Amino acid sequence: MKNLVFSLAFAVCVVATGTPAFAQQSGGLKVEFQGPGSHSSGAYGRVSALHAAARAVILIQQALPSGSYQITNLTGGNSVNAIASDGLVEMKLTAANAAAYQALVAAVTKAAAEGAAAENAFRGVKAGDLTSGAPATVRSVVTPF
Amino acid sequence: MKRPEHARALLTAATIVLTSVVALTQAAPPTQAGTPATIPASVVAAAEKIANDPQVLALARDQSTDAAAKARWNQFLELVRIPSPPRQEHLKAAEIHRRLVEDWGFSRSEVMTRADGIIAGTDTNIVDGLPVYNACVVIKGSYSGRADAQHYQGQFPKVLVEGHIDVVNPEVLPPASDPFIHIKLQPYGQAVVATPAELAAIPDELSFDARGRVVENDKYATASKVFANAKEAEAGGGVRIYVPGYGDMMPSTSNAFVLVAAMKKHNIKPVYDIWICGTAGEEGKGNLAGVKQLYGFDQKLGTGSNPLNIVANFGLEGGGTVNFVGSYRFEMKFKAPVPRGGGNGPSAPEAMAAAIAKIADVKTPSDLQEGAPRTTYTVGRASCEPPPVGRTAAPSCSLEVDMRSTRKEPLDDMRKTIEPMFQAGASAENARYGRKDGTAEGITLELMWYGLRPAFVAESVDNVAVHAGLQSGIQLGVLTSPMVGTGSGSLNDNVPANTGIPTYQFSLASSAAGAGGHAFWEWGTRGAPATEVARMHRVLTAALIVSGFHAADGTVVQPSVGPMGKRTREVAR
Repeated sequence: MKNLVFSLAFAVCVVATGTPAFAQQSGGLKVEFQGPGSHSSGAYGRVSALHAAARAVILIQQALPSGSYQITNLTGGNSVNAIASDGLVEMKLTAANAAAYQALVAAVTKAAAEGAAAENAFRGVKAGDLTSGAPATVRSVVTPF
Repeated sequence: MKRPEHARALLTAATIVLTSVVALTQAAPPTQAGTPATIPASVVAAAEKIANDPQVLALARDQSTDAAAKARWNQFLELVRIPSPPRQEHLKAAEIHRRLVEDWGFSRSEVMTRADGIIAGTDTNIVDGLPVYNACVVIKGSYSGRADAQHYQGQFPKVLVEGHIDVVNPEVLPPASDPFIHIKLQPYGQAVVATPAELAAIPDELSFDARGRVVENDKYATASKVFANAKEAEAGGGVRIYVPGYGDMMPSTSNAFVLVAAMKKHNIKPVYDIWICGTAGEEGKGNLAGVKQLYGFDQKLGTGSNPLNIVANFGLEGGGTVNFVGSYRFEMKFKAPVPRGGGNGPSAPEAMAAAIAKIADVKTPSDLQEGAPRTTYTVGRASCEPPPVGRTAAPSCSLEVDMRSTRKEPLDDMRKTIEPMFQAGASAENARYGRKDGTAEGITLELMWYGLRPAFVAESVDNVAVHAGLQSGIQLGVLTSPMVGTGSGSLNDNVPANTGIPTYQFSLASSAAGAGGHAFWEWGTRGAPATEVARMHRVLTAALIVSGFHAADGTVVQPSVGPMGKRTREVAR
């Protein structure tokens, strides 16, 4: 349903602004996730930045219209036996115009935050919690490139 | 940190519940107190004799000076900054090899490992297709000189004392332009770093000269302050010393080489040979390569040939466990179909994401029920192949997943739960585009690597390594009873235990505080040097109980174990 609603909004935006003066816009986004990481077994129960990134990708699928994005990279973690402290989604967005493009960016930003929130909720941590002195939650940042 | 909210999790529709294994694995729960070992009187007598031997006491006294403490500390700092990712330990191994001959008094013939990873006498010099960069040295015993000495295919008995030299971070070797790890110093009054960028921005770090020796400047003086705990460190101007390997486990491994050099200096003479090894491949995709080489362990067969005829194993990464957590590890590749002209198609990153997202929702038995066998998992690493020039789609992506449990049944059930999720991720992505699984039009899967750390549950706590480990502690006053804990570890010891070799663990480290193991923010603060000396005294006593010992008074403490090591497969040469 969320995908449908966004698609309709995207289409309306395209129709409303669909003149040659509003040229197609595309660009890249980096969606970065940062968590505490640590030993896969000894610190089991901590959030994973990579798990959060994967959750976010699924939310992006649900939120963005097909054809409006392409995920070019999903990476994170540094060892099979460590909870990933970092996650990264790189993607390209394509929209009919600047306003639609910004709507896509906003949707990705929301999905990233929700992916992180879902991972935090699954592991029962909230903003401000610490684990061995480090921030216990996974956080997301979206930046253009 | 908070534990998962189990009640809420049980109601979460997306949660995958592994309840079936709980019932299967509740038999014979361990007791809180542990199990007492029955230590033979001969071991008790040997511990007393060895621990109080004048040569052994002289070694301990020698290590108790301020100069010795400083030398140990400097050696640790100089070794820990050498990056040593699993299967890329050659730089650290080379430095240990160099110091063994140039600094620590050994001849080249006493160094048992080669720069190219070869150990003469083992039948396993390649593990997972790669050379193994262990660093081992021998203290020769007298046994091979006996007329009636027994051997296994030319290998006389030996006792192994080992600690690993690989470290989770950095993931790969740094560039040659900046080849060493920067050891950062941060006052306790500041918050633990939250990002790698924050760590890199810390201005204070230790310096090293062109020979790799630590520069004894004001930063060094601050880092070298000794504290009993974090509270004292915070009050006394201590710093967090950020460097991968501080906690896991270079202080202990470095001190193993201090100990072996001291044994050489003080002419400690065992009966059986004692090998001290810095082992490769304990972390990550190392897949226990170092001990697999030493024990001739074949993970496909699940057996070890013990080609070097090791009769007892002492690990330096732990606390006396006799049960060992097993693990399965997979690296799976998600391969995208060749793009159709201009059209969209299934995406490798999104297929992998679908798989990871499914795995991320798994709850293990120990998540769900207090007292269930501790079972854990994580997708530790993921990466994608860069798109070819002119294209934007990643041709493939790979994930690495780790699953562990203290018991085989829940571990196998975890595997049965997670392994299908690889295909489920691919299928979900194929379905989005109406593509069929298993065709050239859809995402396909390839198993890239499979790692096995075999689990081990001890049927008895009574063996020569446990006896020596416990009695050395009792003799030196750090233990009050011969109790064996009921916990489990995931260590190099998994391999000797599954080869039939008695094993026990100690630590030679002393840290006042630390955290962040396996993470970018791994740190520690220096602890009491006297603790290190006490631990060296204990490890030396334990190793000599098993190996046998020529005491200063001319008597011989006979080995506590026979000369033929166990094995679960014969050597195939």
